[in-house]
Amino acid sequence: MLRTNLSVLFVVLGTLAVYTAVANMIPQVASEVPVEMEIGSDVTPEQLATIGEELYAGAGGCMACHGLGTRAPDLLGVAGTNCSTRREGLDCKAYLYESLTEPGVFVVEGFQPIMTDMRRTLSEAQIWALVAFLQSQGGEITVTAADIPQEAAGADGAGIGSAGGAPAGAASTIKDPVELLRVSICLACHQLGEEGVALGPSFDDMAGGDPEYLRRSILLPNADTADGFEAVAGTMPTNFGDQLTAAQLEIIVRFLAGER
Amino acid sequence: MSGRGIWSLVAAGLLLMAAEPAWAQEALAAAPEYGDFPLIGARGAVWIAAQVHLMFAAFVLGVPMFAVVVEAIGIFGGEERYDKLAKEFTRLLLVAYSATAIWGAVLVFVLASLYPRFWAYLTTVFAPSMWVYAGLFFLESFTLYLYYYGWDRWRRGLSKKLHLGLGLALNVWGTIVMFIANSWLTFMMSPPGDLAADTAPQTVQLWSAIANATWMPINIHRLIANVVFGGAVVGAYAAYRFLAARSDEERAHYDWMGYVGNFIAIGALIVLPFAGYWLGREIYEFNQQMGITMMGGFMSWLWIIQAFLIGVLFLTGNYYLWVGMGRIPGAERFMPYIKWMLVVLVLGTIVWATPHTMIANRREIAEMGGTHHPFLGVLGVMSAKNTAVNLMILTTFLSFLMYRRANKQPVVSWAKTGTMLQGAAFALSSGIVLFYGIYGYFVTAIVRIGFSVYQVLAVLACIFLVIILDVVMMRGATSRGAIRWGQMPARSQYALFILAVTFTWLMGLMGFARSGIRQHWHVFEVIRDTSPQAVTPALGPAATMISTCVLIFMALVGFIFWLGGLADKPGAAAQPVHHARPEG
Repeated sequence: MLRTNLSVLFVVLGTLAVYTAVANMIPQVASEVPVEMEIGSDVTPEQLATIGEELYAGAGGCMACHGLGTRAPDLLGVAGTNCSTRREGLDCKAYLYESLTEPGVFVVEGFQPIMTDMRRTLSEAQIWALVAFLQSQGGEITVTAADIPQEAAGADGAGIGSAGGAPAGAASTIKDPVELLRVSICLACHQLGEEGVALGPSFDDMAGGDPEYLRRSILLPNADTADGFEAVAGTMPTNFGDQLTAAQLEIIVRFLAGER
Repeated sequence: MSGRGIWSLVAAGLLLMAAEPAWAQEALAAAPEYGDFPLIGARGAVWIAAQVHLMFAAFVLGVPMFAVVVEAIGIFGGEERYDKLAKEFTRLLLVAYSATAIWGAVLVFVLASLYPRFWAYLTTVFAPSMWVYAGLFFLESFTLYLYYYGWDRWRRGLSKKLHLGLGLALNVWGTIVMFIANSWLTFMMSPPGDLAADTAPQTVQLWSAIANATWMPINIHRLIANVVFGGAVVGAYAAYRFLAARSDEERAHYDWMGYVGNFIAIGALIVLPFAGYWLGREIYEFNQQMGITMMGGFMSWLWIIQAFLIGVLFLTGNYYLWVGMGRIPGAERFMPYIKWMLVVLVLGTIVWATPHTMIANRREIAEMGGTHHPFLGVLGVMSAKNTAVNLMILTTFLSFLMYRRANKQPVVSWAKTGTMLQGAAFALSSGIVLFYGIYGYFVTAIVRIGFSVYQVLAVLACIFLVIILDVVMMRGATSRGAIRWGQMPARSQYALFILAVTFTWLMGLMGFARSGIRQHWHVFEVIRDTSPQAVTPALGPAATMISTCVLIFMALVGFIFWLGGLADKPGAAAQPVHHARPEG
């Protein structure tokens, strides 16, 4: 009986040892907690790039998609070399900033528009730090402390671990619904007449829709998924409640519901 | 933190469940954010308590599901041996039930004392459901005791059917209890979309917190996984009793019991990936970034380990069946096929465990010469992996079919046609799986993902059709000889231990994946984990922790099964259990 017990013990411990050893032999990647780091008004471009590198590998979550080839373009070593020629009329700095804050405006050919607006998770100062880091990948860093809005610099909301400052959002003075849809980047995924991209449901088909449903779809886009669009569910930004004023939200809802 | 302080916090946490909102809010603000635990830290303590509790809970929820089915087979099939088996399953349940409750209490105490503020938050949101949970737990306990202790008293006629009803009720209470507990942990993963960091917990709608995005997928996944787990642990118990058996009769009984446990575990395992697929899809729909973190982010290597473990499960489960065929007259005609089935399983495991889209740093990318390995990058894509796993499922099903038919000789006139139809179903299903696997290389990713549905449907249709045909075809079949229960080599029983340990370890690994994708959040993107241990560990340390939990569970389960078995020892006060020799 003792021999049986020892054999059973050996099998159990041996199996556990093998699994533990295999799991310890593979590359070890932990999910680090974002570290608080201040971006002061006197920060240098090189310091910004260093902070950006940490964000790239950490709180920004960039490496979940970039650098793996299939989901999003490779950026390491090349982002700074082709950024000035991607979009006509935009220099490298402006293009990279746009890619981080309005990712639906331009999607590199061959890739799906899965990138989210980084203003949801990063502050303005952190986004500029990312731009500086990306420029450093084969190019010249032209981001300076002057690019960072004063209110975004310093300790308030600029720490790497912070959830990010308030997004710029649609200018609060705009009252024209079509213009609001444009500046809110809605047309990057929805079609309105000849304008926009048919990734999500078309705005033209929403006339006569329930205003309450439309309002909820804008403020809580994950609450419902329109039939036939399950594949892109979860990609709509959830920060329109922060970006739009209450009046602007109502202007858009009324417009979409058919009061055109 | 002193012992007195801990107990004060526990008391405060429990009181909060009944607190008025305003008082709850004040207490919540006054509570320290985190406590500390010697040696392993607060997170380690909660990890072990939660994991071991979950293992016992999975066992006591899974076993009643098949115990009641086995009892029903005994009642309606008129075979008493099934009734005895169901009772023996339930006896294991009884002794494991107390351990579940004890570890549940330990979990509550460590949560309340080490994460007091977060615990207060959860109790404020979920208090009513916690009271219902406690009430149902009582109901479940009493139903279990009635079910077990009434077994011999209510064994004939209507009273036996009422007894079966008790078993069904036990399952209903247990399932509701699990659904309630699942709502708490899925709320942490996928809270309602309108919840923000500054949302007062008193204002959170209970039902919206319960019915969150991942609640139902987790419920279904756990229901099935509990059956798998229960079957595996029962199999290991039977294996131990087989090895320790002193008579042929006893050995025969536990050989049969081990076979039934393994059949339940592997049978339910075959459908588990479909529930997992639904859960993964819901996670992506809830938050794309969370899904990417899980599958392609820092957890990407976890799926390679998972593939390795599932490969072990398939190989070991099939090995047990193949060895078992040695005690079935007539099985020798299937033996030549086994080596080819082994080839399919080994190749399938290799393909499934091939790394593809792994998170890599700059140095690793440079060493590979690109973001993907020049050779493995082609082999490790989902088209190849889906094909591999579907063929492995078909192969395992074929093993079961051979085992089932080994000593049977059909007498129906269309037996040959039926067998050919079954063969055609296997061939067609494999052909569809292979076709979409190859075609997947020539289409875009979004189209390729849809192909997995066709592959799965082809496999399920084959399993369904073949089983129906087999059941009808084998009616009145003659026997080539009785199964020689008990005449199994000892190595087959060690395979059952490996299965139980692997299932348990896999459960811990998947628990780490589910919990770890929240990263440094208690409630994803709502309540941040600011404790010193907020980092989500790499697989190495996580594996060490999982092994520790499995070891604790196995040691305790061994101990309480030993206690439960004392009644069978000669000279014990209780009436010894006589085991009928199964006839196969």
